[in-house]
Amino acid sequence: MPTYNLYMGCSVPANYPNYEAAMTRVANAFGIQLDYLEGVACCGSPNLRAIDHFGWLVVNARTLAIADKTGNDTITPCNGCFGSLKDVYHILVHDADSREAVNKELKKEGLEFKGLSKPRHFVEVLYTDVGMEEIKKKITTPLDGVGISIHYGCHILRPADVTEFKPEILDELLRVTGATVVEYPLWKQCCGATVLPVNEALGIRLARDKLKSMKEAGAEFATVVCPACANQLDLQQLDLKKSYGEDYNLPILFLPQILGLAMGLSEEEVGLSMNRVPAGPILSHLRG
Amino acid sequence: MAETEDKAEPPAILIDPIDMSKLDSEFRHEISSMPNGEELSACFACSTCTAACPIANVWKYKPHQLIRMILLGMREEVLSSEEIWLCLTCFQCQERCPQKVRVTDILFDCKNLAAEEDKIPPNVAALGKQLVETGQLYTVTADWEREDMDLEPEVPGLDVEPIKKILKGTRTGRISSGGSE
Amino acid sequence: MAGPVLIIGAGVAGMTAAVELADSGVEVILVDRLSTIGGNALNLYKAFPTDDCFYCFEGNRWRPGIRKCFYRSAMIDQPNIDLKTNCEVGDIKGPPGKFTVTLERGPMYIDPKKCTMCGFCMNHSEAFRLLSPQSQPQAVVFDPSKMDEGAKKAESECPTKAINLKAEPTTERVQVSDIIVATGFHEMQPVDVDEYGYGTHPNIITQLELAAILDPNGRSHGKLVRPSDGAPVTRVMMVQCVGSRDENYYSYCSKICCVFALKHANIITQERDPAHVSVVYMDIRTYDRHEKYYRQSRASGVEFIRGRVTKVTPQKDGTLEIVIYDSLLDKYLKTVVDLFVLSSALEPSEGSNMIITKLGLRNASGFVAPIEETSEREVEVGSRVYACGAALGPAEVPESVTQARAVVSRILQARRAS
Repeated sequence: MPTYNLYMGCSVPANYPNYEAAMTRVANAFGIQLDYLEGVACCGSPNLRAIDHFGWLVVNARTLAIADKTGNDTITPCNGCFGSLKDVYHILVHDADSREAVNKELKKEGLEFKGLSKPRHFVEVLYTDVGMEEIKKKITTPLDGVGISIHYGCHILRPADVTEFKPEILDELLRVTGATVVEYPLWKQCCGATVLPVNEALGIRLARDKLKSMKEAGAEFATVVCPACANQLDLQQLDLKKSYGEDYNLPILFLPQILGLAMGLSEEEVGLSMNRVPAGPILSHLRG
Repeated sequence: MAETEDKAEPPAILIDPIDMSKLDSEFRHEISSMPNGEELSACFACSTCTAACPIANVWKYKPHQLIRMILLGMREEVLSSEEIWLCLTCFQCQERCPQKVRVTDILFDCKNLAAEEDKIPPNVAALGKQLVETGQLYTVTADWEREDMDLEPEVPGLDVEPIKKILKGTRTGRISSGGSE
Repeated sequence: MAGPVLIIGAGVAGMTAAVELADSGVEVILVDRLSTIGGNALNLYKAFPTDDCFYCFEGNRWRPGIRKCFYRSAMIDQPNIDLKTNCEVGDIKGPPGKFTVTLERGPMYIDPKKCTMCGFCMNHSEAFRLLSPQSQPQAVVFDPSKMDEGAKKAESECPTKAINLKAEPTTERVQVSDIIVATGFHEMQPVDVDEYGYGTHPNIITQLELAAILDPNGRSHGKLVRPSDGAPVTRVMMVQCVGSRDENYYSYCSKICCVFALKHANIITQERDPAHVSVVYMDIRTYDRHEKYYRQSRASGVEFIRGRVTKVTPQKDGTLEIVIYDSLLDKYLKTVVDLFVLSSALEPSEGSNMIITKLGLRNASGFVAPIEETSEREVEVGSRVYACGAALGPAEVPESVTQARAVVSRILQARRAS
């Protein structure tokens, strides 16, 4: 059984336990063992990086140093955490000075960043380590070709030299569930989450533009792999009636929820009722 | 000309040029030496970063202009700008730059310098404070929702104390305790 | 007795070197991988700096040029030139002065010495084509993927028995004393470059593809039409520096694309049904005497936007909606065009890398580099190995001709000395 460390960050456990559950259930089905990392908390998000680069380095290096002791890679379901861990990993692996300064801090706790445990996003592990062949075998109740758009999210795609993530991974993971991937012009664009504390109207505009673009392209649902993106596209969607007078009725599902349903999990097991925009309608698209 | 009224301000048609001797020629070296700032001088002002930015339409100083301001030495204007904080950190500018200038990373460096001088938007400072005080940006409150999903009500392995301790000792702690010492 | 000189590539530079060496009594083996010679120039229509149709542009005392028709028949008629089309260089061995080169020739379905271009075969099968009335060798070419009954009939009834559909590839070994690398350049296919969408839409093309549309010899007889549906083009947008000056692709400037982009812009505004042309640029580099193209294009109403493209969105009617950031106005602009043309980077020819490696030559961004950087030895790239034209880097036509003549001069001097 391949074993990985699990780093949940703080948003998924607090706001989207349905994502956490769907992910762990899907992982189970493929015989993946996920061990919650001991002694960790928030990654700080890009906002910590903005105000305190060194603090951000130490906090995330610490998470990786704890993971280094296990000999396993570290999985996270959140783009923000993935971005933080991967960026910090990249910096420390390439810059000896930063590494030295950070390890000096970590030594106080008896920890050392060695770069042994690689930070990885859950969906990339599914694609690379489990493989599409194996995943296909477990699809028992595929979707009927219903159109679903993918919001990849910025921190899993860029900077590409750091994240090393090909967008095609999400396309294939969605396609294997039986959905039709609906492409739309704004696929690379940001959901706007990071700017919310500074300018809420901008954040709302970005969320609305994404939903509009997806809807106009003919999507009936959309999928995300990050709780911040979910906040923007799912939770925020309900407020768009107020700010833009627009109703999109575009249910937003986490990819493991869709995958789980196609693999025969029930709506309770993937926590469908917790999706803010009612996601029940997806059930009528499951065949078999 | 002789008939101007005393009350009216003279028309601002002769705008005072920026006195370049008053700019900070060290600012570009300061930024270059910060994380991922090495390619700053490679910028040839093509404005691809600005073309790539989803929101720069509402910025007074666009991304390529901010880089130019850094290169010229307009330290005060850059670090006091609201624009650097409006950055989505989406990395589109950095990804598309033909000279591999790490624009987003450079804006992070500017934000760090601004933070050092306590020029932080209040909501962002509040996030920093929250991290120092609780070690998280979101805390589990609806633990029954977790139980409904057959998850542990408390996140396994969660320990906020080490994070709080670390951040108390770095800039976040200094900002949160009411300004730099 | 010195052996023949091998010239790899029968474009402007290769042909110039071939003729001038041959006319001086030196035997030359001129090889080209295509079935017809001329290189990139084949598709250029008009070339700068004279704007003559590139099939025939005269040289004179103060401006080197080449008279293509003359040179091209020289390729066939000059006895000192052994022209081998459809031919690639396989292996190169041996000491300088006594190179043994393996030439791999594709199947010679048509014997160019026998073909009279009567058109009989073309009437019977689409597999036969005449690339251009001016093509050299003067012969049709055969595409085996279109083999059909008509082709077999043509083979048996060809009046000069020029067709052999069972032809096989052949290999030949030659001994040569000197090698001239004249492999030219290739226009990069800018797939995945930035946000331009090349390869995703028929109306997104490169400059050389545009030249082929504007060529009166081309499919639309020179009329500017949309590849998607043949409708007339009313609005064109060009983007400069696509893949050039870009650390993600080629960091160098491709030198001549600002000039030929504006050459094309001028053809469109001055010699075709008027279409509106916009050029999106970072810098306009119409250096030296080519500044006239820039001035003329402004005078003819070409719109220049200093900035970069934000987004290209195909519309349902085949047009493209383009958002551009204008860095002079400091505003974002939106427009709709019929044709989107990318001034794509000029990269080294495919296969030139192999030659560089085999001969141990120096490499500058993939192009062949001189042995030494001092200009005196610019065309010498190895011991008894020379290079001229765009094989050395993006180059103008007159420059390529001048370099070819420098190579000829070097070779002749070396022979006189020994």
